Amino acid sequence: MTGFILFGAFVVMLLGAVPIGVALGLAGTLAIWLAGQSIMAVPTNVYAGIAKYPLIAIPMFVLVGSVFDRTGVALRLVRFATALVGAGRGALATVSVLVAMVIGGISGSGPATSAAVGQVVTRSMIRDGYPRAFIASTVGAAAATDILIPPSIAFIIYAVMVPGVSVPAIFAAGMFPGILAGIAIIVPILIISWIKNFGGQMRETEDRLTVWGTFKEAIWGLMAPVVILGGMRIGAFTPTEAAVMAVFYGLFIGFFVYRTLTLRDVYEMLVEAGELSAVILIVVALASVFAWSTSTLGVIEPVAKWIVGLGLGEYGTIALLMIALIIIGMFLDGVSTFLILLPVLIPIANSFGWDLVWFGVILTMKIAIGQFTPPLAVNLMVSCRIAQVPMEATIPWVVWMILAMFVALAMVVAVPDIALWLPRVLGY
Amino acid sequence: MPLKIEEVLIAAAMAGMALITFGNVVVRYLTSVSFAFTEEYSVVLMVVVTMLGTSLAVAAGRHIRIGYFVDLQRPEIRARFEIGAMALVIVCFGILFVYGARLTWDEYRFEVLSPGLGHPQWLYTGMLPLLALAVVGRALGRIIRFARGEQA
Repeated sequence: MTGFILFGAFVVMLLGAVPIGVALGLAGTLAIWLAGQSIMAVPTNVYAGIAKYPLIAIPMFVLVGSVFDRTGVALRLVRFATALVGAGRGALATVSVLVAMVIGGISGSGPATSAAVGQVVTRSMIRDGYPRAFIASTVGAAAATDILIPPSIAFIIYAVMVPGVSVPAIFAAGMFPGILAGIAIIVPILIISWIKNFGGQMRETEDRLTVWGTFKEAIWGLMAPVVILGGMRIGAFTPTEAAVMAVFYGLFIGFFVYRTLTLRDVYEMLVEAGELSAVILIVVALASVFAWSTSTLGVIEPVAKWIVGLGLGEYGTIALLMIALIIIGMFLDGVSTFLILLPVLIPIANSFGWDLVWFGVILTMKIAIGQFTPPLAVNLMVSCRIAQVPMEATIPWVVWMILAMFVALAMVVAVPDIALWLPRVLGY
Repeated sequence: MPLKIEEVLIAAAMAGMALITFGNVVVRYLTSVSFAFTEEYSVVLMVVVTMLGTSLAVAAGRHIRIGYFVDLQRPEIRARFEIGAMALVIVCFGILFVYGARLTWDEYRFEVLSPGLGHPQWLYTGMLPLLALAVVGRALGRIIRFARGEQA
């Protein structure tokens, strides 16, 4: 009974636009109170929920995103990629996907990448003959690869919540599925551009971009993922340290190479990244009250047992979870989805004996698809605002990209080694 | 109350976390001394950033929430939902203030020491109720603005 009140109160608050952390915290508190437990469990869990060292990687990676956003790395990457692929049909759209993937190797959140790429490519894509709705779809879908390509905030949360999964291991496991997802999105983008004759319409090229000239500028940005992942790979840095090194590397580029940053920018970056991290971390903190009450009330095991007991088999259960997660992913961001659902999902994975790193990757892929599935797609919200189109207008285009990413997901489900090969050879 | 107070403190705490971690790496590679116990400070700074940033985001309405269904309503109804949501924010952080203060008091009374550096734990835990108060204040301010019919 208390279990129903717990979930009922949560859902009602959630649909009433109460901040999700507060909805989790209050529903949990209500259940603790109804069960006659001490309310002292609330502050204890909130404090213990965030006072964890691995979580420091979150504010630091958010800060990396802010720093590189302001240095103007995205613009220089677009110039370099444009110089490489030329300006034919679908070329600029492909460039924006590739750039989103590289930015994904620097920043850890989908909407942030959507904003960074959208601001840089939208105007030139309009001039090059792409419809606005198609641009918004491309950027929103491309940015979804971000939470797969390391660093990823969703992966950090997963590793903190799931015992036996380390941050470096799941970072490595996300690499190839992320690249695969990016390639999968490029396929329908190119086909649509060819059929509908999108792109390649820019008559005057304002300044001739040479591959070498743009490369010299872009190499600094291209090196950032190498600093982050390489540093972690050779064991020089923990994930948090890798993030901080990337912050200082970004500041160096911004101050001395591109000369785009001022001290005022640094202050604003710190505030912006602080608030963005807080918005994530307060959900983590208050969700621990919710998680504590669900586990003390024992409402989780019956649900997990019920799903396993449906007798759908391995693939049937994955398909069921896939549908459920994509629907939830349409409403919620990845972090919140993990915080609410992992306590149910992990026992299910364990009862099938699934590899938890692989399981984390496919869950994140599902969430990534949800991030650009209308009507509540967080990435599309950002890219549509930049392209100034209503989200409904993206539907005819974005369905093909959703479909393509599903194919990529199905491949990772069928061939777990796409995810697990890299962490294995790296020895995590 | 200007939002500047939170902003300055957040910037300082974020810079503090980055510098502690950076210092840690430098010291580890230049000397054989381990600096790892400073993790304790980073963790507290993260708690501070979380609470202060929550306060900023409450004032500006930037928390993660499902606005879809409420945004379909007329503006007057929407304002009512917003006021209701802020009232729940006050309840939530009010609980954190009252019971967090009691937790801090218990740690003070029983002289609990932090595991890493052996500092009094209540100095760390105390950040929670103290800054929960800031969140409550920002939520109140937002309710007042909505009740006056201002678009926040």
